[in-house]
Amino acid sequence: MITTEIVLEFFSNFILILGLMFVFLGMLGILRLPDVYNRLHATTKIGTLGAFGVMLSILMKVGFTPIGVKAITVGLFLLLTAPVAAHMIGRAAHRHGVDLCDISVIDEYDKTYK
Amino acid sequence: MNSLLLDLSLLFMMVAIIPCVYRVIKGPTIPDRVIAVDAMTTVIVVMLGVYSYVQESVFFMDVALVLAIISFVGTVTISKYLDEGVVL
Repeated sequence: MITTEIVLEFFSNFILILGLMFVFLGMLGILRLPDVYNRLHATTKIGTLGAFGVMLSILMKVGFTPIGVKAITVGLFLLLTAPVAAHMIGRAAHRHGVDLCDISVIDEYDKTYK
Repeated sequence: MNSLLLDLSLLFMMVAIIPCVYRVIKGPTIPDRVIAVDAMTTVIVVMLGVYSYVQESVFFMDVALVLAIISFVGTVTISKYLDEGVVL
């Protein structure tokens, strides 16, 4: 039994560090990338992988107590809604007329709806 | 060890709010600001989750769930407003 707790603790800390690394990469992207769409591509990783990783880590730390169940509920909700919000804001930005950056190669959505 | 890792993660997420605020202030277009506010809300939700575990209190997790729902509804509303000009 004590071995199971140590293994679970180790994987919990590992997933927590993995989620924090995705948060760091998203922040790096929101600072450095040149374009609305590139920044959107970076920041959606915070919502899906970063938040879900940290919440899964909390669930593995506390088990199925009220804190753990609510944590995995928040994680699943963010995992479901972050891509929907990212899709809607990207589509709205393109139809609102935000240009792509200068080094973009191709814009296929521009041809489909005009 | 365990508490040190959680404290460092809370400190890291406090630092991670700074790029979002920079992008909200400087961002050239409206979708930039919406994306930055969305990312900042997600970071705050994650911070509330970790803080709920540190304090061993359930109530911060309720705050995190409500904040996540409000962030999603706000982003969808603003993108519909930008796209079609009306909200509903």
